[in-house]
Formats: sequence, C-alpha cells, structure tokens
Amino acid sequence: MNHQFSPAALAAQIQSVGVDIEGVNLSYGSNHVLKDVNLAIKPGEFFAFLGPSGCGKTTLLRLIAGFNTAQRGEVRIGGRDISVLPPHRRDVGMVFQSYALWPHMTVRRNVAFGLEERRVPRAEIERRVDAALDLVGLRHLADRRPSQLSGGQQQRVALARTIVIEPKVLLLDEPLSNLDAKLRVQMRQELLSLQRKLGLTTIFVTHDQEEANTICDRIAVMEDGKVQQVGTPQDLYDHPANLFVAGFLGTANVLDGAVRDDGAGRRVFVGSGVTPVALPPSAGADAAGKLMFRPQNLIIRPDGGPPAPGHARLTGTIRHREFLGASIRYAVDVGGQLVQVDAPHQAGDALLAPDAPIVLDLAADKARLLRP
Amino acid sequence: MTSLALTRDRIARVRPGPALAALLIAAFLLLFLVVPVVQVIFVAFQDKTTGAFTLVNFADFFRNDLFMRSFANSFYVSAMSVVVASLLALPLAYLTMRFEFRGAVLIQSLGIIPLIMPPFIGAVAMQLLFGRNGSVNLLLRDHFGVSIPFMEGLNGVIFVQSIHYFPFILINLSASLKNIDRAMEESAQNLGCHGFRLFRRIVFPLAMPGYVAGASLVFIKVFDDLGTPLLLNVNDMLAPQAYLRISSIGIADPMGYVISVVLIACSLLALWVSALAMRGKDYATVQRGGGGLAKRRLKPLELVAAYAVVLLILVLVLAPHVGLGLLSFATIWSFSPVPDAFTLKHYQTVFTESGQYITNTLLYASLAALLDVVIGTAIAYLVLRTKLPGRQWLDYIAMAALAVPGVVLGIGYLRSFYGVPMPFTGQPLSNFWLILVFALAIRRLPYALRACTAALQQVSSSLEEAAENLGATKLRTVGRIVVPLMSGGILAGFVTSFATAAVELSATIMLVHSQSDAPLAYGLYVYMQSAAGRGPGAALGVFAVVIVGLGTYLSHVVIERGRRERGQDH
Amino acid sequence: MLRTTRTLRNAAAALAVLLLSGTAAFAEDPSGKLVIVTSFPKDMTTAFQQAFQKANPKVTVEILNRNTNAGVKYLQETASNNGTDLFWASAPDAFEVLKGAGLLQPYKPQVKGIPDIVGAYPVNDPGGFYAGFAASGYGIMWNTRYMKANNLPIPKEWADLAKPVYYDHVAISAPSRSGTTHLTIETILQGEGWEKGWRTNKELAGNYRTITERSFGVPDGVNSGAFGIGIVIDFFALSSQASGFPVEFAYPTITTIVPANVAVVKNAPNKAAAEGFVDFLLSPKGQEVLLEPAIRRLPVNPVTYEKAPAGYPNPFKDTSLGAQVSFDVNLSQARYNVVDALFDQLVTFQLDDLKAATQAIHKADAALAKKPNDKAKALLGEARDLVAAMPVTAEQAADPQLAGAFTVERKSATDAVPERQAQVEQKWAAFAKENYAAARRKADEAAALVR
Repeated sequence: MNHQFSPAALAAQIQSVGVDIEGVNLSYGSNHVLKDVNLAIKPGEFFAFLGPSGCGKTTLLRLIAGFNTAQRGEVRIGGRDISVLPPHRRDVGMVFQSYALWPHMTVRRNVAFGLEERRVPRAEIERRVDAALDLVGLRHLADRRPSQLSGGQQQRVALARTIVIEPKVLLLDEPLSNLDAKLRVQMRQELLSLQRKLGLTTIFVTHDQEEANTICDRIAVMEDGKVQQVGTPQDLYDHPANLFVAGFLGTANVLDGAVRDDGAGRRVFVGSGVTPVALPPSAGADAAGKLMFRPQNLIIRPDGGPPAPGHARLTGTIRHREFLGASIRYAVDVGGQLVQVDAPHQAGDALLAPDAPIVLDLAADKARLLRP
Repeated sequence: MTSLALTRDRIARVRPGPALAALLIAAFLLLFLVVPVVQVIFVAFQDKTTGAFTLVNFADFFRNDLFMRSFANSFYVSAMSVVVASLLALPLAYLTMRFEFRGAVLIQSLGIIPLIMPPFIGAVAMQLLFGRNGSVNLLLRDHFGVSIPFMEGLNGVIFVQSIHYFPFILINLSASLKNIDRAMEESAQNLGCHGFRLFRRIVFPLAMPGYVAGASLVFIKVFDDLGTPLLLNVNDMLAPQAYLRISSIGIADPMGYVISVVLIACSLLALWVSALAMRGKDYATVQRGGGGLAKRRLKPLELVAAYAVVLLILVLVLAPHVGLGLLSFATIWSFSPVPDAFTLKHYQTVFTESGQYITNTLLYASLAALLDVVIGTAIAYLVLRTKLPGRQWLDYIAMAALAVPGVVLGIGYLRSFYGVPMPFTGQPLSNFWLILVFALAIRRLPYALRACTAALQQVSSSLEEAAENLGATKLRTVGRIVVPLMSGGILAGFVTSFATAAVELSATIMLVHSQSDAPLAYGLYVYMQSAAGRGPGAALGVFAVVIVGLGTYLSHVVIERGRRERGQDH
Repeated sequence: MLRTTRTLRNAAAALAVLLLSGTAAFAEDPSGKLVIVTSFPKDMTTAFQQAFQKANPKVTVEILNRNTNAGVKYLQETASNNGTDLFWASAPDAFEVLKGAGLLQPYKPQVKGIPDIVGAYPVNDPGGFYAGFAASGYGIMWNTRYMKANNLPIPKEWADLAKPVYYDHVAISAPSRSGTTHLTIETILQGEGWEKGWRTNKELAGNYRTITERSFGVPDGVNSGAFGIGIVIDFFALSSQASGFPVEFAYPTITTIVPANVAVVKNAPNKAAAEGFVDFLLSPKGQEVLLEPAIRRLPVNPVTYEKAPAGYPNPFKDTSLGAQVSFDVNLSQARYNVVDALFDQLVTFQLDDLKAATQAIHKADAALAKKPNDKAKALLGEARDLVAAMPVTAEQAADPQLAGAFTVERKSATDAVPERQAQVEQKWAAFAKENYAAARRKADEAAALVR
C-alpha cells in the first residue's frame, strides 16, 4: 500500500507471475479454433504468440483476458485458475490492436479509468497517472483527446492505461501493426526496455517473425489452432520442429529425398543433384524425408574442387539473382528443386550470371532432416 | 476466504444482471404490449356466434373486394410515400452531411419538424394550402387557369405522409453518412470515381443501412397510419377500414380485428425483409473516434443550386406548419389564398385555457421518452452484446409495437386495466395518468430502440473490452463507456420519441379520463371539433411545434458540441 | 410546486400499484365531482359547465370529450368500474345502444312544460332512460364565396342537390359514423319509401365530392372552402356563421328535427349531481344557454323562444320544420345497422364508381335535352334504374335474421347462424360495382346515340 510514484517505484510494485495454459480447447460451433493448447510462460518472461492470421493466436490471448470461454482446459496465472473469473477481475492488462482509446475521455481520464474502477483515492490516482504518463513520455499531452494524438502517441497512451493498474500480466495484441516501419522499430525497443524495467510477464501477439525474434524471450509458433513449437528465437530458427516453423521463421531450403543406410551403418540423406548428406545416427532409415537448410549454410565453390570435409556437394544452374547489398541471393536449380544461396558481397565482387552452372557445398551439421 | 472467492466466481460466471434486466423488460412488454393487444385481436380468430377458434374471418378478408382494394391501396400509398420521402430526404441529408454548408444544423433541425405534425390541424392546413381550393390552386387557377391535384384521393395521402414521415429517412441517413470513414470515399476518388458516381457507388451503398432503416420505418408508419387517410376522407385503405369497423357503435364485427392482425403481420414482414436485406452489411467503418465524410467545399454556382434545392424542399416540408401558423393568427380563412385578417386573440384564448395541456404533455412525453431510451438502450445492449437465449425476441416484440394501431392499444389498455382498482383511491388503474405514459412509451419504443441499436453498433466492442480489462464490471462499463459513447444516438432516440409522443392522439383519446390529466393532443382534438375552435386549436398546435422544435434544436446543439469536444468533427 | 408534489405522490402510487396490483381497493372518497362524457364541442360544454357551476357552487364539472362512437365504446369498456355520471350527446341511436347494453339509469326530469314531440320525433325515451334537451335539424350549408366563384345557384331542397350543376360540390358525413346523418338518410327513406328513398339518396350521392368520417368534417370543409355545400346539422352551420365564416344555412322542406339527449349512467358515482344537471339543462336558465351564438341549438322548452333573437327557427311554431314525416322509431331501430352497412357498401366505398356512372348519366341527359331520342331515353332510364337498384328489399332490411349478421346477440348456441357480416357486405359491394359499371355503359351508349 505504501506506494511511491516514480517509474522505478512502479516497477518495484510489480511481482512477476507465470501463466500456465493447460489442455485448452475452444470451438465456435463446428469451427475448432484452439486445439489442445498447452503452454507454460515463466514469470517475467517476454513471450510471443507467433503465427499467420487465423492461426488462433488472438483467440488465445483473448481467452487469457477473459473475452472468450474455452470448452475445456484451464488458464492459471500465478498458479491460480482464472478460467471462471470475468474479465474485470483478472488483473491482466491488455493493449488492443486498435488501442481502443475512449474518444469521449481525455488522455488523463483514459489512463485513470482502471484506477478509478479500483476505487483508488483521487490523489493517488493523479500521481500514478502522472507516473505512467511519464513512463511513456506523454505527460504533456494529458489533457488532449485521443483523436488529437498521432498513432505512436495513441499507442503509448494505451500502454500507459494498461500498466498503470499494475497488472499481473501484460497482453499485447499486435500493438505495432498500426505504426509506420520506423516507428515500429523504435516502439519495439521501447516496449522491450519498459518490460525489462517493470519485470512484467508479457504476452505479445504478432504475425511478424522479425518483431517476435527481436524482442521476445520465447516464442510459441502457432498454426491451425495448434502450438507447433515453443522455444527461444534462436532455437526455433536453428532447430525448427517442422516445415511450417522452419518456413515461418526465415527462408528455408527444402530438398525432397530419402534416408538410407550407407552400408557402413551410417544414415545418409539421398536426393537428386546432391551427394549423400551424413545424418545423425538417430534418423530412421528407408523412409522419405526432407532436408532443410538456410541460404547462408551453402558455400559457393567457384573452383569446383572436391567438397570440404563434412560437406555435401550440390550442383545446379543459377536461375536468377537478387542484389541485397550485404549479400547476393541466388536461386539455384538443383535437381529440379529451387535452392536459395546467400553469398556475402564485398565492393568490386563480380556477380555470377544467370544460367551459369554453379557448385555448392553444404555443411552437413547445419542441415536438418524433417519428416514430411 | 477461498470459499467466499469461489462463490463469487460462480456468481460472476452466471451473470445475473443481464438476465434480470431481460426479464424485467420482458415483463414490461408482456404487461403493456402483448397482453392488451392479444385481449383485442383474439376476436379475429373467434367464430362470432359460437366463440370457437376459426380462420374463416381471414378467408372472408381475402375474398372481399373492398379489403383487397384497400390492401392494394395501402401498399401503393406506402411504397409511393417511401419514394417521395426519399426524394425529399436524400438531398437534405447528402448536402448537409457531405458539404460545408452554412446552417446545416438548422436545416437538420427544421427537417425534423414535420414529424411534429399535430393531429387534425396538419391536414386542415394542407387542405388550405394545397387542396383543390387551397391557396396554391386558387392562385394557379386565377393566373394560369390550371390546378394541380396534390390532395386528390390517394395523392393527398401520399403527399401528406411523405412530408410527415420523411424525417425518418433524413435522420437515419444523416447518421449513416456521418459515420462513413473518409478513407472509403477518398480511396474511391483516388481510383477515379467522382461526382454523382461517387455518391451512387460508394457513399450511398455505405449509407444503405441507415437508408433502409429509415425507409422501412416510413413504409410501416404509412401502412399503419390512420389519421391522415381518415382526415382526407380516404376510406379504402386498410388502417381506416380497421378503425371504422372497430369503432362503429353497436356492430360486433371481427373484420376490424382481422385487419389489425393483417396490419401487424405486414409490418412485421416489412421489418423482417429489411433486416434480411441488411444482413451482413454492418458497415461500422469508423474506428478510434475517426471522422465521418470529409466535408467538401462547393463551387459558388453549385452552392447557389444547392441552396435553391434545400430551400425548395424546406418550403415544401414546412408548408403544413406555415399553414398552421397562418391559421393560428387568422380571423377567417375561407376560400382565399390568405386569411382575411390577422389577430392575436387565439393565443390569448390558449394562454388562459390550456396551460394544463402543455405541462401535462411535457411531463408525459418526457417520461415516455425517458422510459423508451432506457429500455431501448437495454434491449440494444442485450441483443448486441450478450448471448442470452431468446434475446432477439425482446427486439422483435418491442419493434412489433410499431405495427400495433393506436386504437387497438388504447382499447386493449382499457380492457386489461380498467377492472384493476388502484390501491388507496380505488380508481380504475387505467385512469391513472402513468398508464397513458406507458401507452405512449410503448408506441414510441421502436424509434428509440432503433436509434439506440444503431448507436451501439457504431461503438467498437474493443472499447468495452478495454474497460473490462482494466477492472470495470459489465455494469460499470455500460455506465462509463457504452452509454456516453452512445449518447448521440440515445439523445436522437429521446428526441424522436418525445416529439412524436407529444402529438400522439390515437391511443391517448381512448385513455384520457379527466381533463386535468389530458395532454395537448387531446386539447387540440377538443378545439378542432368546433368552428370557433379552429383558431385556438391552431395556436395550441403552434405551441406544440415550438416546444418540441426547440427541444430538438437544443439537443442537436448538444450532440454537435459533444462531437466537437471529442474531436470527431475534423 | 403543486404539480411536483402531485407528481411525486402519483409516482409513489404508481409504484404501489405495480407492487400491490390485485390487492383490495380502499373505499372511494365522496366528492362533488360530476363526470360527463360528451361529444359536444368545447364552446357548448364550457358554457353549460360554467352556468351549472354557478348555480351549484359545490359541484365541480369534469368534461370528457369523445366523439359519439368513442364515447359509447368508452362507457362499454369501463362499465365494470364505472366512473362516469352522465352521457351527453346528439345521436339518439347511441343512447339506444347504451340502453340496450343496460348501461343507463332511468330518470324522470322534474322540469314541467316540455312537449312530448319536437318535429315528428319524441323528445324523451319512453322508458325514461334518456331525455332530450335541445333539438336540431338537418339542412344544407354552403360557402358563399365558393358558390360565387363557381357560379352555383343556392340549393333549397334535397332534390336540388341531385342536379348536375352540383356535381362534385357536395359533402356529407357517413351515416355509419354520424348518428345525425343516419337520421337524415332514414328520414328520406321513411318519407319517400325504401326504393324511392334510396334512389334519392344515391342521386344525391352521385354529386358528393367526399364522404367524411367525422360529422364535423363537413362544416369544417365548407368553412374552409374545400367544398361548397354540406349536408349538416343546423348548429354546426349556425355556430360557424356566428364565428364569422362566410357560410349560410337553410332547412329543406323535408327535414327531421331530432333531439339531442342526456342520460344518467348506471352506477353513476355522483347520481344526485347528475340528476341535478339534467334538470338544469331543461330549466329556463339552462335552455337559454342554447341560444348563445357559438351554440345555436333549438330549445325543447317552448318558453325559451321568447328570448330568442329574431328569425330564430322555432319547431313548435313553424310546423314545416320536421313535421312532414312521421318518424317510425321502431322501424328505424330494426334496420339501423343494415342501412348503415348498405350506405357504406353501396355509396361510401363505391363512391368513385357511383360518381362515374352519375357523370355519364348527367352528360347523356344534357345531350338528350338538346336532341331527343326515345331509344336513348329508355337506355338512360335503365341506367338510372341500375344505379338505384337495391340488393335488399324493405322487408329484408328489417328482418332480424339479416340484422343478426351485424351483432353478436343470439338467443342460444343452437340458433341458426346468419351469414357473416363480411359475406353480406361482399355481396352488396359486388352488386353495386357491377350495377354502376353497367349503368355507366348504358349512359355512354345513350350519349353515343344522340351525339
């Protein structure tokens, strides 16, 4: 109760709690929107629900806020089941994609709203509102109406309005999607530093993997109402569990082929246009498989000499190229399948011509076998 | 502590608030609408001699040439009234909403005044101005030897009804136009669309929900309206046929009630069709307090033309009131373009005799309108924002009031409440003036309900979710977010209900039981039954129009100010 | 302030009603309030109200204005818990309905010297259920400016109104809506006989511009000049004249003078005051009020005419007024609803067709006058007969079986079920429509022959 009203003190008030989602299923009629979702979000974590539109990520977020009801499963915050609580008693702060600022109230009244609903004394409300507005740097605009603010400012007001109530969890529904590119980059850093400062468990919904990668501790990649994989950005990028995750997190090269025993008890991947690629022993033999690797995992071998140790050899024809500045991306036809190759670029380097044959080396330990 | 919390959790999950509100409203509608109406119309399904259930009366209805002719006439008149009313409303709404137009608020307010056409006098004034021997035709005949049959037969009904009810289209269409996001229009301009094509292809389709809402109201009102055809002595339409039969002395004929049932059925059908036509066309295009159409500046020549059009329409639609004004100052006005002389004596008469009527009217109409917007907001909220089973029925039943002729409701009230004595006084409950307020509220509820529903549809639900998310209960959210954001629509609903309730006669006439409790419309009726009463009656009518008109104008000012404060006018 | 307290009190009472509805009522306070349901205009009721209250300062008169039909409906619907003391209106038939429904209380007025008969009509109900207090006669009212502008001659008799020159200039109210119009129609029927009477009525109707729903619609239209000539009850015309409108009025030779009536309502809460009012109406003081310019009705107390202005019609002296027809009240009652329904179906709702036929007949007639032709004359006669033809005879009209189609009264469930009203009406309407179309064809044919 002994509140201090500086931004730092605001942070000190917040106790980080975890969010556990267990066996959640949700349908609208015959439309099964969430299928057996299980997630454990750690206290203080910056967590993202990432996926294409329609994957169920917003539905899941609204479920946590209490705007949807799951047919099965439960949501626990700080260990307490909140599935039966109405939205206003959940203490989870949500920033809406449209910000949902009330047009009939000033910025100050918007931010004060949650505190007023909590019957906080008037003087304390004013101080806490000031602190929250300071935190987002908008105290000088406190008496404006939302419609008189720019998009970025509206965003910050929405944020201030949410954190001023010191929620247990902060929910962000595509908060950056209505901002221009430059502002988006700036805001995501601000969001991150604010979250770190407050230590507030935060769930961030986005369809932009770059956004998720840059600010989130961990990401749940969702598709078709299911969680496909949970992990740190690096984890997901380097070790995608399936083709969807691989493709959603970055450019992925995929070669069709099969896993064979090379006769010496080792597993290898065989496909057209590529020499057998050594696989970890755990891969089961005699099955179809797909080999996934990133464009930067390939090395161009203009000399055409034998592959380096631990590398497989790909041969193909350049179909087209894109000049990206720091690198050049070639699309190469390898045995009838297109493969992207990134070559670092230095001033004065010559570009390879389309339709020229090309020889590539692939480090076997960078490639990943995915089952179809 | 834990168990207490758990109980509260359970209560929270059941959400008794909306269910309770729904039950209260359902009880109100049942008691003051369904029961009285059923009390009256069940006769339609009764065999006259045996009292057994029968449909033979309906067979008679469809076999009867007169009724079929009346049916066709009612349909024709309603459809034509929609067309004419649209022609009047479209330019006013489009010009004032879409362009920078000085006096737009004034024009909008004046455009609503025709709704406040006091009974009897409106038609008298129209006859004096546009009748076969009215001012216009007398002048035309004197100078050009021609006359225009404005008021002959069905023409007269269409003419008077379009002028009377066109504000329904004006109000709804204006609200829709105001709520179209400017980007919609700008993107069309960007793609090369302009001028009338822009209006036809983008602006009008986006404003369609408002237009259809208004047009269906006009259709239904004209279809059900009794006063105008009766006063113009057009009998072969459905509503007058029903009335003539229900109110004939000594005749017990079920056909009047059969026609009432047919009227109710047709109105419900019209509502259903308009709902069907609008399904999936909920264009809530404005977000985050964004602005409506960007107002454009007209070129000087266009401006002159626009003002000419607006002026012409205003002169036409305000003609009954001009006539009313002349009548209230006239000594004698008979077979001449203007009255013989002018006097203030009618106002003097009204001042000394009729103060009570005015205070009663203000009390009844404002109570009724208040009740309407409270119930209207509640129903709109229950329907749009909750998942209560059967919530749509509240809407349907409340809207069905639109289809109930005032006489039927009046008789139903007498039947239902006359036998119930009031506590303390022993007077019949139907004599209690609050019953009159309920009758007015029920009759005007559909207008308020539509206004509230439209207003709530414009409030993005994320605005409410944000409030709940920040700790406001549903009720608090309604109080602090929903109602303030709906205030424009609620006020519009209040004004419509108030304005029309203030001059309502058909249910009133059955329920007024003492002069001291009588409203203005009753006073008008009494005045207009004698030759000497025409002047004072008109003066009383002028009072009605001025009071209600001022109220309308003030609320417009309030709405506009609120909009400006919210920065929604860009 | 007073208003506020009352409002609050009423609001509290309303709350109580909502909570306690159905609980026993408290005893009613005795009061000096006299509640009168009336169809008379304000000018008249206010004059009597003031005069009566002056004579009886303890009584407060409360006037409830309803048109006659609504008044009857109101009394019927509220009979279970009656709060009305007096019913005060013109049309005797409305009183007959109330009497039939057992809603009236007999009272013998104390005033002496009232004749039994005015014109040809009995002043009082034989059973004493209602009493006449003023007489009125039907006549022709016209707007002088309208007549001048349209060059119309002044009509004197009903038959004049059937002349082609008045085509589309005359108005009347529907007999089913106005008791007094009904009496006018019935008077013509009794005076000329069923067939001839209907012929006259329809020939008049062929010239109607409109048939109004309210009685007052006719004088109102004449006053404003919407139409030139109206068939109205005298006081409408006389009071309009008194208000300054450019209108005049005349009684035709065949007219009926009918009393306007007053009756005490059964279970009247304030019976003593109600009976006092009836006596006041008939007293010389009350009767004099009738002479006021805005009221202008004929007193039933002959002595009052001494105080009347010069030229005031006096049915007790001027025997031509209403005495031409001896009015059979029983016959009128027996076919009351049938006559109304016939007029509605044959005239009111077929007015356009009837007018078209009439116009064709007028045209043919005019042509024939210039160029006589026997065949055309015969055709025209047929056309006239077609217009005049009636679907029912006088005997059928008075048959209770037919009248039963219009009422709910029945002796027992096994009674023969008469035809339903809607069936009967459909038959009549079809009959009229067909005949009017045929008449029009024949008249056109006749006109073609002499062209």
